[in-house]
Amino acid sequence: MTAFVLKRLGFAVITLFAVLTIVFFIVRVLPGDPAMAILGDQASQAALNALRARLGLDQPLYVQYLQFLGGVVVGDWGVSMVSGRPVIQEILKVLPATLELTFVSLVLGAAVGIPLGVWSAVRRNKLPDYITRMASLLGLSFPAFVSAVLLLIVFAIQLRWFPVISSGQGTTLSDRLRDLALPAVNLGLIMAAYITRVSRSAMLEVLNQDYVRTAHAKGLAFATIIWRHCLRNALIPVVTVVGLYLGILIGNSVLTEIVFNRPGLGKLIIGALNQRDYTMLQGMMVIYTLIVVLVNLITDLTYGLIDPRIKYS
Amino acid sequence: MRKMIGLTLMSLAMAGSAHAAGETLNVGMASADAGKLDPHVATSTPDKGLLHWMFNGLVRIKPGEANPADIEPDIAESWTSSEDGLTWTFTLRQDVDCHGDYGPLDAEDVVFSLNRAADPDISAFADGYAAFESVEATGDHEVTIKLKNPVPSLLGLLVPYHGGNIVCKDAVEALGTEFERTPIGTGPFMFEEYQPQQYVKLVANPEYFRGEPQIKEIFYRYIPSDSSRDLAFQSGEIDMIYGKQDQTWVERISEVPGTKVAVMTPGEMSVIHLNMTMPPLDDVRVRRAVAHAIDRDALVEFKGPDVTLAAVSPVPEGNLGYTGDVPTYEFSVEKAKALLAEAGHPDGVTIKAIHTTLPGMLTTMEAVQALLREADINLEIETVEHATFHEQIRKDLSQVTHYAAARFPVADVYLSQFFHSDAIVGKPTAVANFSHCDVADEEITAARVETDDKKQLELWAEAQRKIMDEVCAVPLVQSLQLWAWKDTLDLGVEVNGSLNLSPPVTEAARFSE
Repeated sequence: MTAFVLKRLGFAVITLFAVLTIVFFIVRVLPGDPAMAILGDQASQAALNALRARLGLDQPLYVQYLQFLGGVVVGDWGVSMVSGRPVIQEILKVLPATLELTFVSLVLGAAVGIPLGVWSAVRRNKLPDYITRMASLLGLSFPAFVSAVLLLIVFAIQLRWFPVISSGQGTTLSDRLRDLALPAVNLGLIMAAYITRVSRSAMLEVLNQDYVRTAHAKGLAFATIIWRHCLRNALIPVVTVVGLYLGILIGNSVLTEIVFNRPGLGKLIIGALNQRDYTMLQGMMVIYTLIVVLVNLITDLTYGLIDPRIKYS
Repeated sequence: MRKMIGLTLMSLAMAGSAHAAGETLNVGMASADAGKLDPHVATSTPDKGLLHWMFNGLVRIKPGEANPADIEPDIAESWTSSEDGLTWTFTLRQDVDCHGDYGPLDAEDVVFSLNRAADPDISAFADGYAAFESVEATGDHEVTIKLKNPVPSLLGLLVPYHGGNIVCKDAVEALGTEFERTPIGTGPFMFEEYQPQQYVKLVANPEYFRGEPQIKEIFYRYIPSDSSRDLAFQSGEIDMIYGKQDQTWVERISEVPGTKVAVMTPGEMSVIHLNMTMPPLDDVRVRRAVAHAIDRDALVEFKGPDVTLAAVSPVPEGNLGYTGDVPTYEFSVEKAKALLAEAGHPDGVTIKAIHTTLPGMLTTMEAVQALLREADINLEIETVEHATFHEQIRKDLSQVTHYAAARFPVADVYLSQFFHSDAIVGKPTAVANFSHCDVADEEITAARVETDDKKQLELWAEAQRKIMDEVCAVPLVQSLQLWAWKDTLDLGVEVNGSLNLSPPVTEAARFSE
């Protein structure tokens, strides 16, 4: 087990290094110039050159690259070219908000998606199945920013239950829930749509297995067969897919954060992209890569919890 | 049960939003976050708009206006200039206090501020102060500025806009790099708090020399999503909103009950620059044909009559030095075709433009394309990403360059940046002369150092006439700045313009109910 985790972490370091290298060069190949983004389009050539020198952009590319890698190793990710604040500090300040949103949406998605998927599989080709499949298809095809605006129009403008601008700094539980509710529902429903489909097909496969028929034959209660025996065996593909879709969830969380005006990585990355803030983009890519690598590791470890036959070696 | 959930949610929604009604102003700005809040560093619209309410200059443009002809005293109560226009002496008010505990403002602070604005290692606006020889405190409340050569508008450099903001020396020195996160000025509102990606909170400055503001706090909220910003205005969570330069936005937001929409100068002027070194545009008859083929009224109608002005001169209307008395080319497809035939192109011409994919600009250019086609001028548009566009047009790759820009509203700025031969793209001194225009160099240069206001205006007018006679460029339209606010908010002045691109919220602003 420990050896497995260590090996995976070793691979993670290699992945991280590759991502850093690619990101470093891609942001510099992109058209656009941070000096111009900062000084505006009427800056003189001299002023632009002076700023480039101050930002270290006049150095040869390999020097910049080595400095950047050296910085990352010792935990110095540089300062944002736009705000002048340390990148790591900027990211860590808003990371909890994004993690909170992603986690709650994931839980919501699973809590809605798994039962719906199971129900749909059990009632295969009956009305509940059709409705569930239609609904999940709708959820899959709905862009996150459209559903977000619709939620705002209904719950913030018509019903006035929630504010349009979430304060993002609630200290009491009710404040936090109020800020979280609409964005989490928005992301959670999209996640639920994915999970419903996967758990339905996984369940369908399991329901046709011999041991299910045996369980029926020896007179086990229907609910016990479904929830204890079938679901447990169907969960492995579900967990795999949830792990994979977490990337999609993070992508959608960017859009969701922007529309609901929540603080988080989403607003950070939009600002950094518009301003060609190289250092900030690099820092954010490190964070995103770390999250994806960690989630994959956790997914792998979860298999063992679901199915004790799986051994890590 | 359902009712109970509703009630619980309602009470949750109400909690936390309690603030003294009528004294708090919530503003929605289109930006993801604050940049550097140092007035000598900040160049973006969102940052400048916020700093506008916190800083003073030696002089200012009357709140609600954007024309340097409306300059009035601010921190300086009076000033004199020498005959040759090289020495300027300003007498300061004695009742100006820095925000917080940084004490009264005196000549030392002003000297420090202007030197800081001129320091290329700190300031983004140092270029503008290149003509400054020295700035000295010649008394506790007297400052003398000496110039190496006269400049087109010295007072224009001293308004709190691009570098003219007066900061407090003690605060800058005490705060060091923190200053860009906690700006200290002398204006009606003081910095109080910054919440990353959420808002900057300002509070009223009780010691403000024009009187304590009636609005007690301002939340400047960063809401990058256009639709969420509109919804927040609709739900009443923000009182003042930064608008989109779009007719449909005006129509939509006007439907919110109790809304006042403000259309402000300076606008962003759209101009197509015609590259005079590339055939067939090297022939003035072809350039005139282009000018005749463009129907400005149709463009205004297309871009939205409430948010757009027709442009006739290469300098935007409302700028100091603007003249409407320039050669004009009335819309006439026949005249355009006749000119083309005369130039040896009876079957028309094809010209190429590299263009940005920015939708607002692209639709304008597509409308121009449609108009030109009527006169057998085939405009081929090659679209590239916006940053690539900026790179390529500066490498002199485009025959026709569509450029939209807002500048400090003195004729010299537009003329120097777009039409003086020093600014031709490709030169080391390049700025944005995409047409290779050099026909008005003499007037532009002479106007910069002309100390007689009347003669200066005449030189600028002559430059505009020459540029339009040669058709270095065809001005299209001016898109104005848009804001909206609740009609219960009374800013105390009529708002026609704002240099800093945000409405003037001063000590006079208040909520009526």
